[in-house]
Amino acid sequence: MSMLQLAPTLDTANGRSVGLQRVVVALTVAVLFAGGGFLLHTEEQGQVIALLAAFVALFALGEKLPAGRRVAALCVAHPGTVNLTAAVMVLAIAAALREEHYTLLMMATVALFATAAAGLTLQMAFAGVPNFAGAAFFAVGSYVAAVLGTSGIPHLLVLVIAGLAAAVLGLLLLLPVLRTRGHYAALVTIAFGLLLRSFLEVNDVLGGPQGMKVPSFSLFGLSFSRVTEIGPYDVSFYLPYALAGCFLFALAFAVVRRLEFSFAGVALDAVRSDEVSASVFGLSIARWKATAFLMGNALIGVAGALYGMMNAFVNPNSANFGDSLIMLSILVLGGLGNLWGAVVASVVILVIPEKLQAIQEFRLVIFALLVIAILRFRPSGLMPRVTRDFSSFAKEG
Amino acid sequence: MKMKKSLSALACAALTALTLQPSAGFAKDTVKIAFIGPLTGGNSATGLGGRNSAALAVDLHNAKPDAKYTYELVPFDDECKPNVGVQVATKAASDKSIIAGITHYCSAVAIATVETYNRFGLPVVVWGAVLPEITYGNDFKEIHRVNGTMINEGKMAAEFLTKQGFKTFVVIHDTTDYGKGQNKYFAENLKPQGGDIVATFAVSPDQQDFTAELTKVKELKPDVVFIGGLTPLGVRVRSQMDRLGIPAQLAGVSGIMSAGFIEGAGQAAEGTVSFHNGAPLTKYADGKAFMDAYTKAGYREDPDAYGPFAFSAANLVMDAIDKVGPDRKKVRDVLNTTKGYKALVGEVNFDDHRQNIVSANVYVAQDGKWVYWPDSAYAAGTKKLPGKTAGN
Amino acid sequence: MDPGLLAQYVFNGLMLGTIYAIVAVGFSLFFGVLDVIKFSHGDVVTVGAFSAFGAAGLVAAAVTLPGPLALALGLLAALGAGAASGMLIGRVLVLPLKNAPAVNVLLATLMAGTVLREVIRLGVPNGGNPKPFPALLPEGVLAAGSFSVGIDSVIILVAGIAVVVATHLVITRTRLGLAIRAVAQDGEVAQLAGISFSRTVLGTFALGSMLAGLAGLMLGLYYREINFNMGVLLGIIGFACAVVGGLGSLIGPILGGFLFAGIQTGVTVVLPFTSAYKDVVAFAVIILLIGLFPTGLIAEKSSERV
Repeated sequence: MSMLQLAPTLDTANGRSVGLQRVVVALTVAVLFAGGGFLLHTEEQGQVIALLAAFVALFALGEKLPAGRRVAALCVAHPGTVNLTAAVMVLAIAAALREEHYTLLMMATVALFATAAAGLTLQMAFAGVPNFAGAAFFAVGSYVAAVLGTSGIPHLLVLVIAGLAAAVLGLLLLLPVLRTRGHYAALVTIAFGLLLRSFLEVNDVLGGPQGMKVPSFSLFGLSFSRVTEIGPYDVSFYLPYALAGCFLFALAFAVVRRLEFSFAGVALDAVRSDEVSASVFGLSIARWKATAFLMGNALIGVAGALYGMMNAFVNPNSANFGDSLIMLSILVLGGLGNLWGAVVASVVILVIPEKLQAIQEFRLVIFALLVIAILRFRPSGLMPRVTRDFSSFAKEG
Repeated sequence: MKMKKSLSALACAALTALTLQPSAGFAKDTVKIAFIGPLTGGNSATGLGGRNSAALAVDLHNAKPDAKYTYELVPFDDECKPNVGVQVATKAASDKSIIAGITHYCSAVAIATVETYNRFGLPVVVWGAVLPEITYGNDFKEIHRVNGTMINEGKMAAEFLTKQGFKTFVVIHDTTDYGKGQNKYFAENLKPQGGDIVATFAVSPDQQDFTAELTKVKELKPDVVFIGGLTPLGVRVRSQMDRLGIPAQLAGVSGIMSAGFIEGAGQAAEGTVSFHNGAPLTKYADGKAFMDAYTKAGYREDPDAYGPFAFSAANLVMDAIDKVGPDRKKVRDVLNTTKGYKALVGEVNFDDHRQNIVSANVYVAQDGKWVYWPDSAYAAGTKKLPGKTAGN
Repeated sequence: MDPGLLAQYVFNGLMLGTIYAIVAVGFSLFFGVLDVIKFSHGDVVTVGAFSAFGAAGLVAAAVTLPGPLALALGLLAALGAGAASGMLIGRVLVLPLKNAPAVNVLLATLMAGTVLREVIRLGVPNGGNPKPFPALLPEGVLAAGSFSVGIDSVIILVAGIAVVVATHLVITRTRLGLAIRAVAQDGEVAQLAGISFSRTVLGTFALGSMLAGLAGLMLGLYYREINFNMGVLLGIIGFACAVVGGLGSLIGPILGGFLFAGIQTGVTVVLPFTSAYKDVVAFAVIILLIGLFPTGLIAEKSSERV
C-alpha cells in the first residue's frame, strides 16, 4: 500500500538516474526469481525454511525500510524492466533446471494456474463477478483437449477451441450471474461446479469417473512428450510444457494489462465500484460484466487444455470444488487484481504444500493455518493491486 | 545446482576422510524406497494404516543383523487426487536415489500414474488399488501388484451369495471408478449364477442420506443389498437400513471390510458379508507376529484392511534390492519374475501382467470382528445370516 | 403408489429438510448481522456431533448413565462446543476482517473449517474412520402397513421443528433478537442507539453455531454414524438453501431447506434408477431459481445491499 503512494513523487526525469534505477529494478527482480527458482527446486527442508524466511524478511524490508520502499516504488515505476527481467530469468531458470522433471512440472503447473488466475482476475478483480467454479472451466478445457486432441485438428487450434468452449459453457450461467450479485452470484457458480462434476462422473459419454486420456501437446508436428534433447543438451519433456505455460501466462498477462489500462479497464472498475453511477455515465453494466466473465472463462479454459495435455489425463475430480477454491485462494492471497501477486501466491499455494511432504498427514492443517495467517495479517493480499492514479494526466493537461 | 552437487560431494569426501573406515559390516549404504498413498482426506485411514505397515516392514528389515542396506521409507501424500498423484509420482520417480515404490490405494490415482512410472523406469508395487486396468490395461514392466483385483472379488461374491440361496439383489454403488467397477464385475458374474438384480443405485461417495433410495429398496424387497463402495458408504447404508426396517442381507466388497465398518455400524454390523482378496491375519503364518510388532511400534492408527499388503509389498521390494543391489532396472527384472515369494499375505506369484494371483475369501462380521467364513458360527450353522432369518 | 411408502418418503424428506433448514438458518443469521458468509459452518456441525459423541462416550465408559442424562450431557457438549467454536471463529477471524472484501472472509472461514476438520481427523483416535453414534433416544418402531419410523426419528423431527420455531422466537421476541435485527438493519445506527456491535455479532455467532452443534447431535442420533467429513457437503447445501430462500429473512432459509430436501427426495422417487443424477437436478434447479428470483424466494426488503 505504502509503496504505491510514493510512485508518482519519484524523479524520473534524469536520464542517468533512470538507467541506474533500471539496473536496481532488474537486480531486485532477478534476485526474487532466482530465489523462487531455488525454492521450486530444493528438497532440503532446512533450505526450504531458510528461503521462506528470506522471502518474508525481504518483503518486510520492502515495506518497512525507506530504501526498501524506494526499491519497491521503482519496480512499480518501471514495469517494462520488470517484465523483461522476469522473462529473462524464467528462461535462465528453465535452462539451468532443464533436466529436472519434477521442478519443471511444478513450474508449468504454477504458470498454468497463474494463467487461470489471470482469467479470474478479469472476472472478480475487474468486473466484480464472483466465480467459484474456476476448476470446472479448467476441466472443460482439459476435456476439450481430450476429445479433440486425437482428431487431427492442430493443437494450437484445439487450445483456442477449448477457450471458446469454456466461454460458451459460461454463457449458460450468464443470465443468472448478471441478474444477481455478491453471494447470490457466488452460489450460481458453486452450484454449476458441483453440477458439472457430478454430471461428468455419472454420465459415461466422457469416460465417466475414470475420465479420459489426453494426447500430448504437439506444435507443428513436434510432440512435447517426446522431447528428450535440445541440441547437445538432454532435457526433461516437461521443459517445453514449462516454457509453453510461461508463454501462455505472459500472453494472459499482456491481455489483462492492456485491458486494465484501456477504456475497458476503467469502465470495468467503474462498474465494479458503483453500478448506479456507472450506468449514469452511460456505461452498459451488463455488457461489461458479460465480456469480462466470458473472457475470463476463455483464459481458464485454454490454461486447462494445456494442463490436461501435460498431465495426459483428465477426470471429473479435476472439476471439484476444492480445486476451484485453490484458484480463488491464489487470487485473494496474491492481492485481487495484481498478476505478479498471483504468481507469488501460486507458488505459495501449489509448491509449499508439496515441500511440506515431510510432515505428511499434518500438511493440510498447517497449510490451512498458513493461509488464515496471511488473510488475517495481510487482508489485501501479499501484493495488493496498484490503485489507479491519474495524477500524471492531470499534470500533463 | 551444480554448485550444490559439488559441495555435497566435497562434504562427503571430507567425511570419508575424517571417519576411519570401519569394517564393511558397519558402513551400510542407505537405500530409499517411496510409499505413496492418501495421508489426508476421506481415505486417509487406509492410507495411514498402509504407511505405518510399510514403515514397520522397513524398521524390521533394518533391524535384521544381516541386513545388507539401511532402508529409508520416503512417504508421499497423493490425497487420493489423480493430479496430485501424478505430481508426487513424478517427484518420486525423478529422484534417482529412490529405487522402488510401494504405491497407491485409490484406483483413480493408480491408473493415472502408471505411465509416469513407466516413463521414468521406477519399479513399483501397488499395495491397495483394485482396478483391473492398473495391471491388465497396459504392458508396463514397472507396474506390479500384490493385492488382487475387483474381478476376483465380484466373482466370489456372486458365487457365494447365490449358493447361500439368495435370489434378488439391489446394488448400491458409488460413482467413482471403484464403485462402478465393483458393480460391473458383480453384475457380470451374477447373471450366469441365476441371481437377479432388481435395482441399481449409483450414489455420490459423500452422500449422507440414503433414506430415499432405501425406501425404494423397501418397496422392492430384495434378498440382498450389495454395496460397491468404501467404508463410509457401507456404514451409512447399514445404519439407515435398520432405521427403515429393511430385513435384507447386507453384503459388500472389500472396501467395507475394515475395522471402521464394524466400529461405525456397531450392533447393526452383525452378519454382514464381505469379500476380500486377503485371508485374515490370523490365517497367515506370521499374522500374529505382525500384529504384535505393529502394536509394539505404537502407531496411532490401525493397519486396516490393506496394511498387510503394504507390509508385504515393502518386504518384496527390499528383498529384491538386497538380491541385486540398488539398481532400478535390475530390481524391476527381479520383481517381474517373482514366483513363490513368501510374504505376510501368503505366497506372491506374478502372472504375465505382474499381477499377484490371489483368490478372494469370504468374511462375515461376527461379534464385533470380521471372521473368516469357514471358521464362523454362520458357516457352522449356529447362527443364521440376517437375510435368512427374515424369512426370505 | 402405496400410501405407506408415500408417507415414508414424505417423512424422510421432512427430516432431511429440517436438518438443512437448521444449518441454513445459521448462514442467514451471520449474513444478517455482518453481511458475511461463514463457510466453516458445516464443520461446526461436525464439531457438535463429535463433542456429543465424545462426552456421551467418555462418561458411558466411566459410569453407566440413564439414557436421558447421557442425552442431556451430549446436548450440552454439542451446544457448548458449537457456540465456542463459532465465537472463536467470529472473534479471531470474522470481526477483524469485517472491512476486508467478502471473498477474504469466505476463504478464511473455509480454511478455518479445514482446520476444524483436520483436528478432528488427527485428534480423535482413528479419526479418519466413521464412528458409531450411541443410541441415546428410546428405541422402538411405529409401524402402519408399509410405513415404519423409529420413535427416535419422530422425537428428532419434532425437536428439530421446535428448534426452528424457538429460533424464530429468539429473533422476534428477545432483547438479543432485537439487537440482532437492529444491527442487521444498520450497524452504525444500532451502535448510536447503544447496542454493542461486537457483542451482538458474537452473540449471533454463538446462537447460529449452537444451532449447528445441535444439528450435529441430531445427525448423529438420526444416522447413528458420524465422520469427520460429514459437514462439508452439508455446509454447501446449507449455504445453497439459505441463498435460494433469501438471505435477508428467517423464513427464506427454512423454505430453502425443505425445497432442497424435496428435490432430492423427489428425484429419487420419480427417477429411482437414475438417482445418481439427483445432485445434478438439484443444483440445476438452484441455478434456475436464482436466475428467476435474483435475491432469493423471500426477497430481501432492500435489494441494494452493497
